[in-house]
Amino acid sequence: MMVDIDLSQAPFSLLDEAGRQRVRRGVDLAYYDTDEIILDAGQTGEHVFLIHKGEVAELDTATTERIGHYTAGDLFGAISILNGQSRYRFIAEQESLCYLLPRSLFETLCREYPVFADYFRQSLTDKSRLLTERRTAGGITMAGFMLARVAECMREPRLIDADASIAEAALRLREIGADSLLVAADGRYGMLTKTDLLDGLIGQSLDRATPVLGIAHFPLITVRPDDYLFQALIAMTRHEVERVVVVEGEQPVGVVELTDVLSFFSSRSYTVSLELEQAEDLDALARASARLPGLVKALMAQGVKLRFAMELLAALNGRIISKAFDLTVPAEHHQDSCLMVMGSEGRGEQILKTDQDNGLILADGADWPGRAEQMDRFIERLLTLGYPRCPGNIMVSNPQWVDSLGGWRQRIDRWAERRDGEALMNLAILLDAHAVAGNPALLESLREALFARCSHDELLLSHFARPVLSFSTPLTLFGSLKRPTHGIDIKKGGIFPIVHGVRTLALERRIRPTSTLARLDALVADGRLEAEFAADLGEALSLFAELRLNQQLARLEDTGKPEGDANLVVVQRLSTLERDLLREALHLVKEFKQRLSYRFHLEYS
Amino acid sequence: MLRSLRRAADRRRQINGRYGWLFNPYTGDELVAIDCETTGLDPRTAELVSLAAVCIKGDRVLTSGALDLRLQRPASLGADSIKIHGLRGVDLNDGLPVDEALEALLDFIGNRPLLGWCVDFDIAVINHHLRPRLGFDLPNATVDLAQEYRRRMRRTQPQVEPHMAFESVARSLKVPLMQRHTALGDAVTTALMYVRLKQGACEAV
Repeated sequence: MMVDIDLSQAPFSLLDEAGRQRVRRGVDLAYYDTDEIILDAGQTGEHVFLIHKGEVAELDTATTERIGHYTAGDLFGAISILNGQSRYRFIAEQESLCYLLPRSLFETLCREYPVFADYFRQSLTDKSRLLTERRTAGGITMAGFMLARVAECMREPRLIDADASIAEAALRLREIGADSLLVAADGRYGMLTKTDLLDGLIGQSLDRATPVLGIAHFPLITVRPDDYLFQALIAMTRHEVERVVVVEGEQPVGVVELTDVLSFFSSRSYTVSLELEQAEDLDALARASARLPGLVKALMAQGVKLRFAMELLAALNGRIISKAFDLTVPAEHHQDSCLMVMGSEGRGEQILKTDQDNGLILADGADWPGRAEQMDRFIERLLTLGYPRCPGNIMVSNPQWVDSLGGWRQRIDRWAERRDGEALMNLAILLDAHAVAGNPALLESLREALFARCSHDELLLSHFARPVLSFSTPLTLFGSLKRPTHGIDIKKGGIFPIVHGVRTLALERRIRPTSTLARLDALVADGRLEAEFAADLGEALSLFAELRLNQQLARLEDTGKPEGDANLVVVQRLSTLERDLLREALHLVKEFKQRLSYRFHLEYS
Repeated sequence: MLRSLRRAADRRRQINGRYGWLFNPYTGDELVAIDCETTGLDPRTAELVSLAAVCIKGDRVLTSGALDLRLQRPASLGADSIKIHGLRGVDLNDGLPVDEALEALLDFIGNRPLLGWCVDFDIAVINHHLRPRLGFDLPNATVDLAQEYRRRMRRTQPQVEPHMAFESVARSLKVPLMQRHTALGDAVTTALMYVRLKQGACEAV
């Protein structure tokens, strides 16, 4: 067939090859001149239009407002068919060549492919959910979990004699840090849980010396080691218990707890953090740290909201750095020093490991011989844990970023006085600082000093806010996405304006949290932003971050290292749906920039 | 002159035959864009390799109902023409015999006017096969897109000598080239160019 029609994107990707072939055979071509009305409001929809070339605007005839904008590869008119008539007017903004899918064929396809029909019935939010679900279903990661065996997730069985007393059992539970024990009584095994102990002591008023045999449960609910993990989950659900015993032959070989199963299904975040907490030396720490990218990928595959993934990752990264600090710095210095991480790490917005940005605050008058060498060693250790050096040398090995509390205060005064590019950047970096090790009170008092000096200084705030405008939003005059072939820079065009704008507002309103999303919440509580606008900004930021993360993960898979510029998003490669979302998000950024330039008088210089 | 005389004679002969209706004047608003790939450039010796026709109604090119035929391997199929249309002998194994293809074409176009890029050549090749078999030439009115375009250019931009290659005309009318040198692709591109020309689009290249 001759028609050069791209059917690899949604919704046509929801059809099978036979269905796509019918689309190919069934479409007509039509050419519309500039300003020609393709489909008017109130007209009955006779075709679904798929743009091959050109641009089409969707207008509300009542309010003359622009509803939407479609370009090559986009599709419109389906809703008009489903509703019987078009609500809006579609007009060609440029000469447009469209494929016309006749109504009868469209309806047949909708009947025969329910997924295809669903695609059109859903609103945008539903569409994003659909996208996530498809990603989940398509990801092999989930399948990996579904196919996990019991043996991969069981704990050692902890046994206790049947004639041991309740007191002994309680002590034993405490020692091993578990929730349950197996009671062995003449070849039989029973389950004894903390709840059973409580019941026995309080409910039945038994004596502490009573043997546990009387309160243990027989017989056991069991699974076999080569059963699927979800079978264990089903057994627990069915019998309303929180643990099952794994038996091989007659012998118990392990216990599977509900929390284990759940954390296994929630991509093993729990086990990573457990491994991290248990790490006693650098090697163990490095092993745990190396598992983070896999964790991120699994979380994304399951469609976990990026915000929660970021928080989890920030917490884990913080723990790694803090552990490394504890391993390097002698305990006596912990109280009078504070290690802070800054930049995206400080805001808790780095997902994959980026450069280390860190600094050290010392208590006034603290005496610490050999500090420089220890700091050098600390940096080296972070390097082995997979955190590359900061190209701007914002690291504790640089004396510029190590000072006493008094020294830091003077620096802030100096920077606020100078207001040049470098000083403002340093202030911005410091504003995002987050304490990860040592004494966090030091950072709090430093932050207090920073707010006291800066939050009322209108001139400083205006200078501070200015970089928000330094990159233009990649939208065309008509409000559609720009599409240069090398891609649009979403860090400059999307992430930076939001992050820095929110940071400026946080400085003005003395808001302590450092993550952008937490700052947005605080700004809403403060009354500085409307809840709806703040929520939209947060969503937009998550979208940008997710797009970037996907590219980073893809690169990680290709080269083993996050190389190249993951900030460049090539619009042409996105699906129509992702493109829609991106466009809306960039419009929000534009509005936010306008608000900021109004508030901080950026239009005058 | 000669052509109309010939057509009148054909008509008298065919008036009660199976194809008499083809000679009735057409009163609708449709047009059929046609294109054929041939084994050579001389209409007296060239044989048909493939044939395509697509209907134009108003702004629309009805590709869904297009006719796209491949013929049986003609004797004169040679390397030179294969290089252009890309249809090798093997590709034509399940092609139609010329009689059947011509019948299908006649049934498709009926008495609607024909549009083509240098349409006289295509008509000449078809007639060359049609007359020995059915005893008449295609009686349809014809529109030559190349001529129409040249005329339009002369009227709107008399000082510019138009560049008359198929590709550059398509570019000037902002029509994407569908699969070039396949009969259907060229027919569709021609149809789109015609629609554009009717809409008044015309720019120098």
